[in-house]
Amino acid sequence: MPAAEQLLTFLGLAVLVAPFVPLAAFLGAALAGRTLSERTVGGLIQGVAWSGLIMASAAGAVMLATGTPWHAIELGDWVITADYHLKFQFLLDVLSLSYVVLTFVLCSVIAAFSTRYLHRERGYARFFVLFSVFLLGMLLASLADTCETLFVGWEMVGLSSVLLIAFFQDRPAPPRNGLRVWIVYRFGDAALMLAAIVMHELNGAGDFDHIVGRHAWPEHDPLLIGPHFALLGVLFVLAAAGKSALAPFSGWLPRAMEGPTPSSAIFYGALSVHLGAFLLLRVSPILDSAPWLSALVVGLGLVTSAVAFLSGRVQTDIKSALAFASLTQVGLIIAEIGLGLRWLALIHLLGHACLRTLQFLRAPSLLHDHHQLEDAIGERPAPERPGWEDRLPEGLRHRLYRFSIERGHLDALLDRLVARPFLALFRWFDARERAWSGFLEGRSGRTDDR
Amino acid sequence: MSVESGQWLLLVLALPLAGAVSLLKAQGAESFASRTLTALWAQTAAALGVWLTHAGKDSQLPGVGTVSVDALAAPMVPVLAFLHLLTLLGTAKSDVTRTGCVRVLLSSVLTPLLFCCVDGGMLIGTMALFSLLPAWDLLSGGRPARVFLLYFTPFILLLASGWLVRQDVGQVWTVGLLLLALKLCGGIFPLHGWMPSLFQRASFAAASLFVLPMVEVVATVRLVLPSAPAWMLESGSWACMATAIYASGMAVVQADARRFFAFLALSKTSLVMFGVLSGTLSGLTASLCLWGPVVLCLAGLGYSLRALESRFGRLSLAEHHGHYDQVPGLALVFLVSGLGVVGFPGTVGFVPMELLISGSFQHGLWACGLLAAVALLNGVSMLRAYFAFFTGKRPATSVSLRETSRERVGIVLILVAVIFAGWFSPSVVEARHELAERLLAPRARLP
Repeated sequence: MPAAEQLLTFLGLAVLVAPFVPLAAFLGAALAGRTLSERTVGGLIQGVAWSGLIMASAAGAVMLATGTPWHAIELGDWVITADYHLKFQFLLDVLSLSYVVLTFVLCSVIAAFSTRYLHRERGYARFFVLFSVFLLGMLLASLADTCETLFVGWEMVGLSSVLLIAFFQDRPAPPRNGLRVWIVYRFGDAALMLAAIVMHELNGAGDFDHIVGRHAWPEHDPLLIGPHFALLGVLFVLAAAGKSALAPFSGWLPRAMEGPTPSSAIFYGALSVHLGAFLLLRVSPILDSAPWLSALVVGLGLVTSAVAFLSGRVQTDIKSALAFASLTQVGLIIAEIGLGLRWLALIHLLGHACLRTLQFLRAPSLLHDHHQLEDAIGERPAPERPGWEDRLPEGLRHRLYRFSIERGHLDALLDRLVARPFLALFRWFDARERAWSGFLEGRSGRTDDR
Repeated sequence: MSVESGQWLLLVLALPLAGAVSLLKAQGAESFASRTLTALWAQTAAALGVWLTHAGKDSQLPGVGTVSVDALAAPMVPVLAFLHLLTLLGTAKSDVTRTGCVRVLLSSVLTPLLFCCVDGGMLIGTMALFSLLPAWDLLSGGRPARVFLLYFTPFILLLASGWLVRQDVGQVWTVGLLLLALKLCGGIFPLHGWMPSLFQRASFAAASLFVLPMVEVVATVRLVLPSAPAWMLESGSWACMATAIYASGMAVVQADARRFFAFLALSKTSLVMFGVLSGTLSGLTASLCLWGPVVLCLAGLGYSLRALESRFGRLSLAEHHGHYDQVPGLALVFLVSGLGVVGFPGTVGFVPMELLISGSFQHGLWACGLLAAVALLNGVSMLRAYFAFFTGKRPATSVSLRETSRERVGIVLILVAVIFAGWFSPSVVEARHELAERLLAPRARLP
């Protein structure tokens, strides 16, 4: 293996191993019954984020200098049977490295911000444990060259996100909203798992290069036509819709704002919410397998964007407004992917993630500044309103307002069509079971729980 | 001279019996607990000896040809010993009684014996004896045992009649009777009514020790799988799939912690049974791989729940209890074990669950979808329970409720097992694949 390739393999692995350092420290401390100090935790996390950024940038520089369009890192087969093949393989290319560098840049910023923002907060260490799991998940998902590896990272990102939404666990709302997000995430996870199985059946492995060929992203082998590719594409779109809060799953995004500001910034403003778009970029050749699939992606993106834009207009708290603003852009990015504008989508994604992170981090102090401004001028500054809203007929304006305040009725739709029938059915089963147990025990009616 | 796995098995069976005898002279809860614990630690060490010395070579229990350590039993014996050890580590001192300890020790003898029985008659007899333990627990505690007896009296009758009539009636009837009995024991829908009832009425320890080893799976593999007609296996496997879906849905809506655990356990045990009854190489391999992790992870989840119950009484899922700050170690164990149950990446349950879902593709993508739905629902119910127990307003207590040093040992053992045992997945899958091939070989000779 030439020296440059060896160096790239080393850098890639070092990037992946980095998040294990704080996780090992946390686990060791927990097993030893000790608590790490804030200073140690902060130092560890920032050290890992910065060193990861340096190594990822170095890998990018080596690839640019040597003209290497992609570099695969194979760690070998983990489990092989006739029906299952778990292989750890990672890929350094323009798409994965862009996302990895973005991850490290934003994680470095967030780590530095959080060490101060969460100073003396109960759960300081818990925040950074979850932060490390999130970082590991992002890196695994970004660098994955097999669907199974991507799935591992995908799940880690989901779990850490949900536990951070429930970070302020004394109040009932954060865990409740966390559970709601978890349900949507699990739905996306199931779709991704099925996609991995279909990929395996199509090619005998979950490797992305078996589907799209070994080309520099976004080039690919042209022959990806057939119903099985369309099915695969639909599963990937469903997975992406869950993770990126596309319609009809958009309702979870404002709920996710229950978490601390740094986690809102990094998960729902920047990295996690774009992971669905990243997945579609990675498998974008599959989206070209059927024109209706591309149209579906474009439609999904535009509908999401429109609903998010309208909902964002009527939000009264800054984090929810920012969440919907994020979603508006995510919808546009998805539409760009559906239209085949892959480079534009990637650049849009990178720029948007950075901008939104800064906006989220600025949000708490911005409110403080606004209060000072109001105190200084003695009144509230007049709100900015676009002229087009005033020009709408009053009836339509009211309907639009109700539509927006209800966030497009998407949550209500899912509740009515999925959640309520499911709960009603199983509660009915439960009542029948209790009655049956009561009958067998010689008591009439429902049994007690004791 | 090297010690064979059969000789280690003798120790596995003898040590708890010696412990039970020593309890006769003991006085006081502390003495009961320490003697039982010593016996179970020693049994766990001997059980590891069984596994490590097996090395693919079957070995009989000295002097008993009908009991043998084979590839099916060898890896499960340490898992079972671990389950019993955890049960005692998680028992509060105030709950330790002489009869309770004797029951745990008897269970720790009967379960490995049952797994190692290679003779059908002896296996059936041991199962019948084993099913008396929960009844003993219910009756000795003065709790209603009617539901359990209503289900398990027919179970024993079906098992016995299936075995006794094997010479007189056709094979289909024999296997049919045995399979029906095993479905009763496994709580396969609609014969599952005893399981939530047992968890509600019996002590948590007794119910867990009866349900978690999945003895019906051993009996299915040894008695039913070699000779059952394909249609019977197939219908059985779909009944198991239906049970898994039903139980996972039921776990989501439960308001009582024990019923939640019962349905979650039922969902997972029926998944193991589904793979076995699918009669395919991939399904059986997946089930054999899933078996141990399910026992481990459910044991971890049960450990956490029992420790919570011993502090706060019976728990409801309808409200948030906020126990995280009081018992963070138990919260960690609950979460990690729960993720293991769900088959989350990085835990011991991940690879087996993936194997099962991928392996079911030969039934169609919809079968994979149903299994993915089970995983989805299990994940939802698990996290819902976690949030209910460990989030919410912190209750004020005047005394420390932190984990005891004995509980901390259990926590470390569970975390190590659930997180690090996954690294052995490749070798485990390989060994279980070979075993599945051997178990299915007799089916190739069926007409």
